[in-house]
Amino acid sequence: MSLSLQNRHALEGHISGFSSFSNANHLSIVRGVAVISILVQPQRAEDARRALATIAESSARSCGPFEWLIVSETRSADSLLQEAISLDAASVDQSDGRVVMRIAGPDVRRILGKCVAVDLHPDSFAEGYSANLLIARIGANLARLAGDCFEIVVDRSNAVWLFEELVARGREFDLSAGFVG
Amino acid sequence: MTSFRLSSGGLVSRAKPLAFTFDGRTMRGFEGDTLAAAMLANDQMLVGRSFKYHRPRGIVTAGSSEPNALVTIGSGGRAEPNTRATVAEIYQGMVATSQNRWPSLKFDIGALNSLLSPFLGAGFYYKTFMWPSAFWEKLYEPLIRRAAGLGRASFEADPDRYEKAWAHCDLLIVGAGPAGLMAALTAGRAGLRVILADEDFRLGGSLLSEAVAIGDQPASEFASSVIAELASLPSVTLMPRTTVFGWYDDMVFGAVEGVQKHVSVPSSDRPVERLWRIVAKRAILATGAEERPLVFGGNDRPGVMMAGAVRTYLNRHAVAVGKRVAIFTNGGSGYRAARDLAAQGIEIAAIIDGRAASTNEAPAGVRVMRGGSVVATRGRHRIEALIAERSGYDETIACDALAMSGGWSPVIQLACQRGGKPVWSEDRQAFLAPDVGPQLRMAGAAAGEESIAVCMRHGRDQARAALADLGVSVPLVVIPGVEGETDGSFSPLWYVPGARDKAFVDFQNDVHVKDFGLAQREGFGHIEHTKRYTTAGMATDQGKLGNVNAIGIVAGMGGVSPADLGTTTFRPFYTPVSFGALAGAEVAERAKPVRRSPLHEWAKKNGAVFVESGLWHRSAWFSLPGEKTWRESVDREVLNVRANVGLCDVSTLGKIEVFGKDAAEFLNRIYSNAMLRLPVGKARYGLMLREDGVVFDDGTVSRLGEDHFVVTTTTAYAGEAMSHMEFAAQTFWPELDVRFVSVSDQWAQMSLAGPRARDVMSQLVEDDISNEAFPFLGVREVALKGGVRARLFRISFSGELAYELAVPAGYGEAVADALMEAGSKHGICPYGVEALNVLRIEKGHVTHSELDGRTTADDVGLGRMVSGQKPDFIGKRLSTRFGLTAADRTQLVGLKPVDRAKELKAGAHLLKEGAKPSTVNDQGHITSACHSPVLGHSIALAMLKSGRERFGEKVVVWDGLRGEEFQAEVCSPVFVDPQNRKLHL
Repeated sequence: MSLSLQNRHALEGHISGFSSFSNANHLSIVRGVAVISILVQPQRAEDARRALATIAESSARSCGPFEWLIVSETRSADSLLQEAISLDAASVDQSDGRVVMRIAGPDVRRILGKCVAVDLHPDSFAEGYSANLLIARIGANLARLAGDCFEIVVDRSNAVWLFEELVARGREFDLSAGFVG
Repeated sequence: MTSFRLSSGGLVSRAKPLAFTFDGRTMRGFEGDTLAAAMLANDQMLVGRSFKYHRPRGIVTAGSSEPNALVTIGSGGRAEPNTRATVAEIYQGMVATSQNRWPSLKFDIGALNSLLSPFLGAGFYYKTFMWPSAFWEKLYEPLIRRAAGLGRASFEADPDRYEKAWAHCDLLIVGAGPAGLMAALTAGRAGLRVILADEDFRLGGSLLSEAVAIGDQPASEFASSVIAELASLPSVTLMPRTTVFGWYDDMVFGAVEGVQKHVSVPSSDRPVERLWRIVAKRAILATGAEERPLVFGGNDRPGVMMAGAVRTYLNRHAVAVGKRVAIFTNGGSGYRAARDLAAQGIEIAAIIDGRAASTNEAPAGVRVMRGGSVVATRGRHRIEALIAERSGYDETIACDALAMSGGWSPVIQLACQRGGKPVWSEDRQAFLAPDVGPQLRMAGAAAGEESIAVCMRHGRDQARAALADLGVSVPLVVIPGVEGETDGSFSPLWYVPGARDKAFVDFQNDVHVKDFGLAQREGFGHIEHTKRYTTAGMATDQGKLGNVNAIGIVAGMGGVSPADLGTTTFRPFYTPVSFGALAGAEVAERAKPVRRSPLHEWAKKNGAVFVESGLWHRSAWFSLPGEKTWRESVDREVLNVRANVGLCDVSTLGKIEVFGKDAAEFLNRIYSNAMLRLPVGKARYGLMLREDGVVFDDGTVSRLGEDHFVVTTTTAYAGEAMSHMEFAAQTFWPELDVRFVSVSDQWAQMSLAGPRARDVMSQLVEDDISNEAFPFLGVREVALKGGVRARLFRISFSGELAYELAVPAGYGEAVADALMEAGSKHGICPYGVEALNVLRIEKGHVTHSELDGRTTADDVGLGRMVSGQKPDFIGKRLSTRFGLTAADRTQLVGLKPVDRAKELKAGAHLLKEGAKPSTVNDQGHITSACHSPVLGHSIALAMLKSGRERFGEKVVVWDGLRGEEFQAEVCSPVFVDPQNRKLHL
């Protein structure tokens, strides 16, 4: 029996009906992102933090004490896992278990203000900062990529729910949505 | 427009007329009007009927404390009862309806209550409607509710959206009047993050109602210029139409914003109301002060209203409340009203001043009756005259409106919501906010200040003090001078003696002075008791207008100071908040998050009927054409699995990856059975206990490498099991080198079960999975044809030859499709959790129906899984205590109905034959039951006292809920393949 197995994105079939163009406020669903979990022992945390910052073409997202997600749009999960070996860390591929959403635009903080309890002012949640928190009652990782650009890494099983919540809360600001990548 | 609308002035847009209806009568107002202002402009003084006596009532205030002008706005699902006309912003097409009257507002049958009023004093209902008790709910309550009350809620669904949001700031300022504006300007100019919230749709507070000049501008223009500057500051957020209703722990304030309550047709893109949680480092309450009514005979007649309200309608809305207005005052406010009315050419009948002397000056030509009082009023639906008394002499004075002022009460409600008690000030003759610490400060009139100039300075200074607490020094905002202010001081006057009619203290609840006397005589002297006995201070206004007078009067009755009596307790909400706003968007199908399996779409296209299982939507069964009931589908699925093969989505099981050189030791301590020597490539059923020895959860442990495991948990306990492990790792054994992470969402997992399972699976898997190469409880990473890497587990919940295949979630649907295709010639069918449940009951496997937080491992027949060899594991110590090892504990058994046609149901209790149903006689209960299509009758798992010794015994199944009682035979809980032959095929 020959097989040709296709990988299906969790939001496949949920974005149809939305315009293909982007409004000023836009929610991008990023396809093909490699996401791996990294866990280290407490005494290795500082070394690991520094080392993670040096992994090329990726960014490290803080998930809690001694735990990160490494996210990359250009590298494969295998190559990231390979590189993690040198960190003396436990690492595991989560690429299929996570959905990456990027939300950007002039009203992004007002939209996210309907979803998260934390203060997203740049003085409190600066560029490059990330944390696990509740977004529309869903546990997810939020990172600030730039001034008005945030990225959410959410469990696959919750992705449809969160997507629908973000779209509903963004309607007031003409939030558009679509796949990228 | 009408004779009550002034031809010029005010802050309404005369170029934008708006039509609305009140009780079906079309009226006109202007943009910028409240409903109350527009009704007054249309000579609609009568707006409602009182709660108990159905007395005609008119508009009393111009703000959120309004007790009388409660109307229903909107119709159908948008009908909102008990809306205060004094804060409702009119819009084109608004439909307003009066309440609590029949058949009409002018002619209300309920007004007969007024004739019976001598019998309807406080406590009447409690004393009268006592017997017979059967009448309480069926007769008395419906009758009383029909006779008394406010508006009626709509039974139609609300078509509008609501939502919640969070906001954060350095300084929250509540109230955008003189003090609030200056506080905001002070902090805003310094670049601090400021939120300025005000319940009004137009910011400016009392400045919008004042006729004074600030600097070289009228007060309202000065307010506009300040607001324009604030709006231009990027760090300042202005929030009109936003009522801050509560102060909670950690400086979180609750607020509700009317987003689209003021528009004819709300946009579906926006909510009509938004509930805010505002987190502030510091807060200033610049909430102003409430003018106190005077308690005199006939003070509730339509046309009697607060002097400050008269000025608001006059100066802000360009509406004269009457053509010949009388004024009854005990302070400067009445004189201010007289001045403003006179300036607009309104005739002033007289100023009756309760004080013998004062420095206040009346406008030229206006008569002042010092040391006088009003003892009665005349008129039916509007005041026509008042009776003034001075030195024993009565005088009737004609008027069509009466402005009253009894002094001012600072609005301190928010500051007292977290336990702080108001403090009586003899100097201010008012309750002031207690010192609640530097995080929250009072400013302006809310702090007892009187003049506009002082309030503005106080607002600025309080802002500077608040920011200094934050380590920020800000420059001084220059406050311009105020021209035209007069002395606003007052002398307290709690009750005007000599009333010839009822003198109301609480208009909304029809509580008058005599009710307080009755409460004191009957022993309800404490102010909290007085409140409950008389109902003073309840309902929508929560005593904003009347409570301080009530305290003054009751204190006077007892011969004590208000300071000795204290106040009732202040709690959120400051003003009513709709259930819609409190619920937000989290209603109906959005009430709780939904989790979707990676095989959701696969299940859907195969005809799955879904069932909610926690947050998950799981496939319950797969209906085929011609199947009329769920049982038909489930029976078919079960029989097919037993005979051929079936595919079930088990992706929702919790999956935790465990790493570290101490991973095996850690799992050995977490589970009650041995895990230390589990070979690589093998899986083992595992049982977790709580510390008290009761079973916590079950699942499997698979060893993928020397220091690498993956454990599965039940779907329901995935989160709890993870937390349990985190807690143990961090607090019990931090010395262990172990790390773990949830991978529940990474893998789509499917169970392929049935005697043909290997035939199907081997078509997809490159590896040898023969029984010899891959025996029962084997685990390995495999390669699928097509290149996808997967994990294969030879474990079974159904009792059949079975595999669980885990593939990266994105490939789940494709792999499931491929398995269905490969299985087509072997008779494969998809099966859901209902069939899974039948399969496991037939096999005697437990779930959380049996592991219900009360059972031990031994109770459910898994005693052998509690290791006696291991030095320690969670639950070991307490699992041996007497209570958990007693011989008469309930034990897991199987049940078969003696009459095979009978249906066993979960929840039914078990009794010995001949025993009466009682707690003492209870022998246990059925935990799980189903129809077994294999056996052709109903079967059940049950917990029965000393059950394992009683196989073959007949017991009585007593189902009190469904009214059934029949015999069942106790048997082994394993109904199918007790030798486990099928597992090892």
